[in-house]
Amino acid sequence: MKYLLNTVFLLSFSISVFAQENQAGDSILYEKRSFTAEEIIRGERLFFGLAYLAEKSVNCAGCHNTRVSDTLNWNPDALAISRIYKNKTAADLRNVLLSPSGKKMSEVHKDFQLTPEDIVLIKAYMDKFTTIGLNPGKPVITNLLLFIVASLLFLLFLTDLIITKKLRFRLIHLTILGITGTYIVSVLAVNAIRLGRSQNYSPDQPIKFSHAVHAGQNQTNCLYCHSYAETSKTSGIPATSICMNCHLIVRNGTRSGTFEIAKIIYSHDNNEPIKWIKIHNLPDFVFFSHAQHVSIGKVECSECHGEVDKMDLMVQVSDLSMGWCIECHRTKKVNFLSDKFYSDYKDILEKVRTGKVDTVTAEMLGATDCMKCHY
Amino acid sequence: MSEPEKIKRPHYVSKKTSSAVPFGGTEIIPGDENAQVTQPKNEYETSAISRRGFLKAFGFSIGTAAVLAACKRPVINALPYIIQPPEITPGKALYYASTFFDGHEYASVVVKTRDGRPIKIEGNILSAFNGEGTTARVQASVLSLYDDARLKNASGGQTASDWGAIDSQVVSELEKVNAVGKEIVLLTPTIISPSTIKLISEFGSQFGKFSWVRYDSISRNAIREANRLSFGKAVIPDILFRNARLVVGINADFLGTWIAPVHFIPDYVSRRRLNNGEEDMLRHIQYETGLTTTGCSADLRKKLKPSEEKAFVTDLHNRIAEKLGKSLLPAEKFSEDLTYLADEILAAGYKSVVISGTNDIGIQIIVNRINYILGSYRQCLDLNNYLNLCAGDDSEMENLVNRLDSGSVGALLMFNVNPAYDYPDSGKFIDGLKKAELTVNMAVSQNETVGLARFECPVNHYLESWDDAEIIPGQLSLSQPCISPIFNTRSFQDSLLKWSGKAVSWADYLSSNWESSFFHFSKMNEFRKFWEQVLSNGVFMYAGNITGPVLFDENALSYIEGTQMKPAGEGFELILPEGIPLATGLHANNPWLMELPDPVTKHCWENVVVISPGDAAMHGIINGDILRLRENIELPALIQPGQTEGTLMIMLGYGRKNSGKVADNKGVNVFPLVENHDGYRTYSLNTAVPEKTGKSTVLALTQLHHSMEGRPIVRSTVLSRYKEDQGSGNEFHRQFEESHKTLYPDVKFDGFHWGMAIDLNSCIGCNACVIACQAENNVPTVGKSEVTRHRIMHWLKIDRYFEGDQNNPTVLFQPLTCQHCDNAPCENVCPVSATNHSNEGLNQMTYNRCVGTKYCINNCPYKVRRFNWFRYTSNKVFDFNSASDLGKMVLNPDVTVRERGVVEKCSFCVQRIQEKKLQAKLENRTLKDFEIKTACMQACPARAITFGNLKDSGSKVSGLFEDPRCYQLLENLHTLPSTGYLTRVWNDEIIDS
Repeated sequence: MKYLLNTVFLLSFSISVFAQENQAGDSILYEKRSFTAEEIIRGERLFFGLAYLAEKSVNCAGCHNTRVSDTLNWNPDALAISRIYKNKTAADLRNVLLSPSGKKMSEVHKDFQLTPEDIVLIKAYMDKFTTIGLNPGKPVITNLLLFIVASLLFLLFLTDLIITKKLRFRLIHLTILGITGTYIVSVLAVNAIRLGRSQNYSPDQPIKFSHAVHAGQNQTNCLYCHSYAETSKTSGIPATSICMNCHLIVRNGTRSGTFEIAKIIYSHDNNEPIKWIKIHNLPDFVFFSHAQHVSIGKVECSECHGEVDKMDLMVQVSDLSMGWCIECHRTKKVNFLSDKFYSDYKDILEKVRTGKVDTVTAEMLGATDCMKCHY
Repeated sequence: MSEPEKIKRPHYVSKKTSSAVPFGGTEIIPGDENAQVTQPKNEYETSAISRRGFLKAFGFSIGTAAVLAACKRPVINALPYIIQPPEITPGKALYYASTFFDGHEYASVVVKTRDGRPIKIEGNILSAFNGEGTTARVQASVLSLYDDARLKNASGGQTASDWGAIDSQVVSELEKVNAVGKEIVLLTPTIISPSTIKLISEFGSQFGKFSWVRYDSISRNAIREANRLSFGKAVIPDILFRNARLVVGINADFLGTWIAPVHFIPDYVSRRRLNNGEEDMLRHIQYETGLTTTGCSADLRKKLKPSEEKAFVTDLHNRIAEKLGKSLLPAEKFSEDLTYLADEILAAGYKSVVISGTNDIGIQIIVNRINYILGSYRQCLDLNNYLNLCAGDDSEMENLVNRLDSGSVGALLMFNVNPAYDYPDSGKFIDGLKKAELTVNMAVSQNETVGLARFECPVNHYLESWDDAEIIPGQLSLSQPCISPIFNTRSFQDSLLKWSGKAVSWADYLSSNWESSFFHFSKMNEFRKFWEQVLSNGVFMYAGNITGPVLFDENALSYIEGTQMKPAGEGFELILPEGIPLATGLHANNPWLMELPDPVTKHCWENVVVISPGDAAMHGIINGDILRLRENIELPALIQPGQTEGTLMIMLGYGRKNSGKVADNKGVNVFPLVENHDGYRTYSLNTAVPEKTGKSTVLALTQLHHSMEGRPIVRSTVLSRYKEDQGSGNEFHRQFEESHKTLYPDVKFDGFHWGMAIDLNSCIGCNACVIACQAENNVPTVGKSEVTRHRIMHWLKIDRYFEGDQNNPTVLFQPLTCQHCDNAPCENVCPVSATNHSNEGLNQMTYNRCVGTKYCINNCPYKVRRFNWFRYTSNKVFDFNSASDLGKMVLNPDVTVRERGVVEKCSFCVQRIQEKKLQAKLENRTLKDFEIKTACMQACPARAITFGNLKDSGSKVSGLFEDPRCYQLLENLHTLPSTGYLTRVWNDEIIDS
């Protein structure tokens, strides 16, 4: 460790001497393409704010994630930044770093004491993300591991109970078998039910788009962006041009700064569609129409999608299982008299008129038939 | 650069539990008491572990295994537009009017596109020519758009696949050829586009020696020529069946393949339909060699050897002329007495029409004379509003091949022709082609001619192209691109424009030609509006019915003597017709068409030697025996009742090479057998001596039983009895209605009860519905070996039954789909209730619930259920272009692609029902009759299929169900089908002395 620190110190010293020698050497410096392992380590330490700097150290990683994270971080992660600067020089990075543009960025990026060679090394370190991606998240003890341990315990005690008989007290066997057995069965049951479903699915999107900001704070109507929900089977993902209606002017986010909004502008200017990740996926053998549910059934968006106006990161609230669909189909009241279409159901109409039936549910019109959704 | 979508995240499992019961897993374990509580009490559930409980447990254990395998969720991306085109609504279909014309067949169509992909072709209801009707070939054409065998890049010369370089080379070579005074030839099939014709003449005018040769792979040249000689008009007359009382067809399959079936069928059927109390029906007598769908529809079908045809028409002519006091032709006696036929024709007088399909000038002139002296040109045949089709000139083509051979042609530009395959002397053509300095081929997809020319300049598919068409003078239609070119191709006309040095694009050329040529016919004052209206409608008529005198030139008769019929030689006579599925063979690489069984032989995937039962017995030939006709022509025999004794029949269009996975080496190419006779290509041979090779094969037949075994499956009657009692022939139905008792409760519906009525009197067995159904419902193609195992997947088949004389039977067609029985035998036996009844009378099939026991297939008395023995998509074994990555673009996104191991069947196009119901709800109105059309109903050119709501007493289908002719198939089984059939009514027996 001592040796390492020594080398780093010596190295930084020699570079800084070199830098003082010749300002014009900067451009040569920025052109540097190959780095030693030590230089990369120095870059990493700079990024994490561990290297000694004249005034104060800046921890870039504090804001810019280097790991995959479950929690929403409004700041661009190291991978996103490195992608942008992959084909640019350290000089470009320096310009942005030391003279920040957006409001949020300029609040944070203040009084940075980074020398050109620091920036070169930071960039050298960050370049590796473009090839290896972000570090995987913290290893978690998965249910699978617990499940295996429980199964082994179960088998062990079962064997002892029947064959080896090392332990004399059967109560111990029965207790352990009971606990592990219940656990095993419950894990199996829960997972089998969940199979193919994706409740709580909440992937990172290519743009850190917040429904809470747009639908919540700014009160944008759902249909402004998802404009086909009333007429087509799909509600539609807004075209970039719809985003640009507002973001032509709004270029600075309160939390994300300019970085995320810049992606929309990039998409628009370069004619590259944004690759959103689809969250609500129905199996191919299910036909679902938004028009039927939104326009005819008068189902509120939030009944299926949850409180989207409070979601920074979009999450699938409902499990979209058939049981969940059917539950609603059984109980949902149909606006029977208001749509002339239903006047063809003469028997029910008669019953409604004579008061034999006061509410017409979707099920009464066949909403639980297989071929209403599966064809 | 690593793609963001490739970063997969682990499948996070939520800790919240759910009470729902999903597919494949449940918290209820076998033996659990709750299992009984959560389920509806069914009468068949008595045991502690129910059937359903067992299956749940089964799914549960499989589910567990999958969880332990730590599956990861696939990341699905959704890419929005940058700027959304205003006309596109994701998830909704968009329709464009266009025109189908492949050089032979024409139809004005409407193209259904989803998210920019054409997925279905429908007829254009605004078209006066074909209306909403289409044919199997038109329906299948959308799949050819996504053919892997399409040419993807221009090539040739020193630089490959660079249009610019090829253009400059072609232009300089053209100039060179022109400079030395050599001939420049453009070889195309019939072209009916007025703008293209204008462009070709402009293109040709810049060269010293330019000629435009039209070559049709199947020639009708003699008809045009006979009309030129007889009436001074080299045209194909339109046949107006609606005005006729009698039609006599002589080897003319006008309802199947001849000239324009899509135009003839509605007209013909309109005079055969009896739904609105008509008292009279068009009488139809057919003389033909091989059994065709047209022959099957005829009231009287008689056999005729090709060698006897001239004697037949001469004899007929003389008998009629004698009665009418006209001059006679040199007598040729036909072997039969034709008095009855002459009497029939004379009785119908000017409302009778005689049609011959033979490409023989003598026969055609005689037929013209018969029609002329009868006065048929007054109402039944129209020489003024003629059909612009079949313009190919046989002698010009022969001449061209000779000129190529002699080396006098400097440049040959070929568009949409394939002489290397379908020109009889293709060897000579290929040799000659090599002698030309410049050869350019413009084709859509791989074929035998591709690769022979120096330059390949692939052209767009018709769904990617601008074009126009004038099918009948004054009846115009437009083609517009419904998708931008998938490959690096360019329209033929754009190439011509480039090579004539014009900077204008073909699309602009087309619209400016319309502005100068046709705009003034409209009443509109702004061209843009006119253009948009025509594009939206697809059709534009600028002239009404043209009238003009028709005068027969008696000098034409002198040509007859010059022509001699080929005398019958040794052995068999052989005819080479085109078949309904492949026709000329142009679309042979289309798996839908390849697997479409011929309506009469019910055979697919290759051509066969059709032989009559008598001849087969005499020579000891059985189905599948491989016969050798010539060297390289070895084909299996198929015994076909109705085939004329002493004749054989082999379909054209098969035996393709270098044309794609589906088409290659299926059957044998018999175009080389076509002979040139009196300057016209004739599709019959006077001598064919088949030898048995001792080998045999299994035929890919889709129907193996040909008799109804005396059961009232297709019910029929004759007109006179029908007039006495409309329910005649349908006595069984009456009996059944009176006597049937049931222990089952009555089936009741509220609102909707979907039903279908099929008029067997209108159905002519053309098979357009079969392909329409296949395209609409993503029905897979299974290949020849699976067809021989009776695993064809068609949801709709047309059963064909023979009745009466085994050697010349009466043929009955019956389209058969799921009957949607209200007391369905299949529903009772499904162990998982994957098939059950909806509240709208649909027999529902739920693929995701089906476990593939096939009990339902076993218990269906109609045999309309199909089992997915394999996964047909993304499977190397079934790698037809309907299942490749490109071919998948044709899939209808509103219909599930079925997985292996499930049963499927006709759904009455439930996706269309649901779509229209939703539309009505959105528009706050009730559903209209005919608003919902199933794919088969919409495609049917004969309007034989009617779909609608049986609960609505005013609907057409309810009316048809009340018709005394209506019956249900196997009604004695008390299956209560929602499909009704209307009895076949024949004209009274024509007295055949």
